[in-house]
Amino acid sequence: MKELFTMLTDPRFHLVNKVSQRFSNGPEPSFVRLTREGFTMDPNIRKKTRVHPYMHLASHPSIGKGDLFSPMYGEITDITELSVFIKRVEPDEAMLAAYAEEPETDVMEAPERGQDLAVVLKRMGLNTRSLGQQCETLVVNCLNPDPGVNWAEPMLLTHQRHFLAGMEMLRRLSPAKKIILAVPEELKQLKFHGVEVVGVPSHYPASINALVVRAVTGRERPEGVGVVGLHNVWSLGRVAVTRRPLIDTVITIGSLHHNGNYIVRDGSTVGELFDFAGVQLNSGDTIVRGGPLRGESIDRLDRSITKGAIGLFLVEKGSIPPMEGHSPCVSCGSCVAICPARLRPDLLSRYAEFGLHKRSLEQYIDCCLECGLCGYVCINRRPVLQYIRLSKAKLGINVPKPQDLYYSDIRPAKSKASETAEEAKQ
Amino acid sequence: MSSNQSSLLLAMSTPPYWHCGRTVCKRSLDQLAALMPAVIMAVINWGIPALRVMALSVVVCVAVEALCCRVMQRRQTVTDLTAVVSGLLFAFLLPAAAPWWMVALGAACCMLFGKMLFGGLGDNPVSTPLVGWAILFVSYPYLMDANLVALTSDYADPLAILKYLGVARADEISIVDLLLGRQISALGAGQIGGLLIGGAYLLVRGVIRWQISLGVLLGVVVPFAAMQMSSDASASVAFHLCSGSIILCAFYIATDAHIAPTHGTAMVLYGITCGVMIFLIRTFGSYTDGAPFAVLVTCLLTPYFDMIRPKPFGVK
Repeated sequence: MKELFTMLTDPRFHLVNKVSQRFSNGPEPSFVRLTREGFTMDPNIRKKTRVHPYMHLASHPSIGKGDLFSPMYGEITDITELSVFIKRVEPDEAMLAAYAEEPETDVMEAPERGQDLAVVLKRMGLNTRSLGQQCETLVVNCLNPDPGVNWAEPMLLTHQRHFLAGMEMLRRLSPAKKIILAVPEELKQLKFHGVEVVGVPSHYPASINALVVRAVTGRERPEGVGVVGLHNVWSLGRVAVTRRPLIDTVITIGSLHHNGNYIVRDGSTVGELFDFAGVQLNSGDTIVRGGPLRGESIDRLDRSITKGAIGLFLVEKGSIPPMEGHSPCVSCGSCVAICPARLRPDLLSRYAEFGLHKRSLEQYIDCCLECGLCGYVCINRRPVLQYIRLSKAKLGINVPKPQDLYYSDIRPAKSKASETAEEAKQ
Repeated sequence: MSSNQSSLLLAMSTPPYWHCGRTVCKRSLDQLAALMPAVIMAVINWGIPALRVMALSVVVCVAVEALCCRVMQRRQTVTDLTAVVSGLLFAFLLPAAAPWWMVALGAACCMLFGKMLFGGLGDNPVSTPLVGWAILFVSYPYLMDANLVALTSDYADPLAILKYLGVARADEISIVDLLLGRQISALGAGQIGGLLIGGAYLLVRGVIRWQISLGVLLGVVVPFAAMQMSSDASASVAFHLCSGSIILCAFYIATDAHIAPTHGTAMVLYGITCGVMIFLIRTFGSYTDGAPFAVLVTCLLTPYFDMIRPKPFGVK
């Protein structure tokens, strides 16, 4: 009954889908594009270098950011500021020999703990920033992050070896005294040795990190509670089980009629993935990297899926009402009724529209959880979330990058504007 | 990459990429569907004159909005059908015997002063149909009095009976007759049964907020029930609910989202204020109905109701 009134009648918003199928392996890419932003390339890696799987390509100065590895046999065709491009080639003797020499590292046997272990894992290509965060209690968010994304249940139930190994690594890595698994209500009878399991609501937006923490602790933004995504734990487990650096990621590929989970190589191009999944593309469609509510749209088929991506979706032209250029707010109140942060997106979007960003601070813009529901229910198809992000950016409030959105909790970081306002008050 | 994909043009957009599918136009269609039972009942009870008023009102509303958009050089918005809904709601507040010029004048005032001069849909501070109704009500009080213009009708006006002939006579009126619209009142507002069916539809579809309807009904029911219990000289609660335009206001007019506050508690309080105003006007005022005036006045208080808001997430 509640759903009738909250206007989220779409069954896809229920985040438990009774999917238990094992993840399929994605395609062998013929061409990959790896993210290079901020990385320092190894000295021996340059254009035309022949590479093999698990070959170390670059490292990142940040301690929480994993190193870059080659996902396949190939030849580097180009290295730009932002990307590394590799074309697939058939391996020759030398490449096969080099591949055979790549060491196996059993991270489960590693004696290190905490920060030292994080360094080991960074060298295995894992992003450990959210995993090793300083906190008393660490909540593992085991819900599918967005509607349409389907990998959470198989990760918990089907791929248990990966999951348990990941949890073991997490325990060694995290300084938290207590680790709590937040699973959907329907699965709360699950038992894992030595881990507390808590059932949380399973209807989107319940999977937003801040809301999961509230469901577990009963408090909003409590001190000393960290949250980490299941996807990250799975990656940890992947490294522990394969004993190899991380060169793949699990994504859901979805369209109106197709939905499946795949383990895909880092840097796989969007076009090849859709081809592989048998999804037909047409002009006017929108391709979304990430979830359908919070992801980013992509302009070209040779853009790639990189580590940490959670999904790839096709939104067919005509499946949703089109956006028209000028669409003023009609004050229908839907966004206010649906907002899980109890904000007024109608006012926030209007302030952004007319450049009155400072007023957004009085309306608590920094409390926005960026769930995207305001735009989902807007009957005049206004880009409400985009307006809010615009205001946040103008105010200097931290706007998470699309790839970080699913891992880091959006905290109301103090903006410069609010600081000056406070100073003025004093 | 296959060659057929190289010519592919992708649409870039902003999150969210899914949408609930509701648009202004579909909301209007929902509202029209909800009004249909009352429209049918109005035609059954009042015949062709009612149909004439409704059709004229809708046509004038649509024409005025189209003309305004043209003159103001704004994007044409008549296609969202909100003018049709406003026209129909306005007609619901008129007597079936209203002269054509009065209907046309009122409908034009609705769209002009109740909507377009403020910038179109969603920007008007007071309800669109009520503006036209108020202008006519103060300008032509006799023509707007359904009891005076419906001379040929066999029905009786329950509120006039209550006011001028006393509670004993009012108690004789059967509630079933009132529910079936066998009463003299505005042509649509009196079709209580049809309006209730439509109201339930709007609630279930989530078009209107239950907090507002609940508030209005509470605000009416509680004081009238208290009065009825304390003295015998008062008509029953059901009598009050089924007469005048309380039901129309509670489900269709006061719930108009842009004239009402937006947060849950504020919506309930706004509804209760509406309801209590209706009670006060009916009990102590000179008007027999009072519901439209109550909504008209209360929605002017909406900016103050909007100050009542829950604390945002994580704010202590």
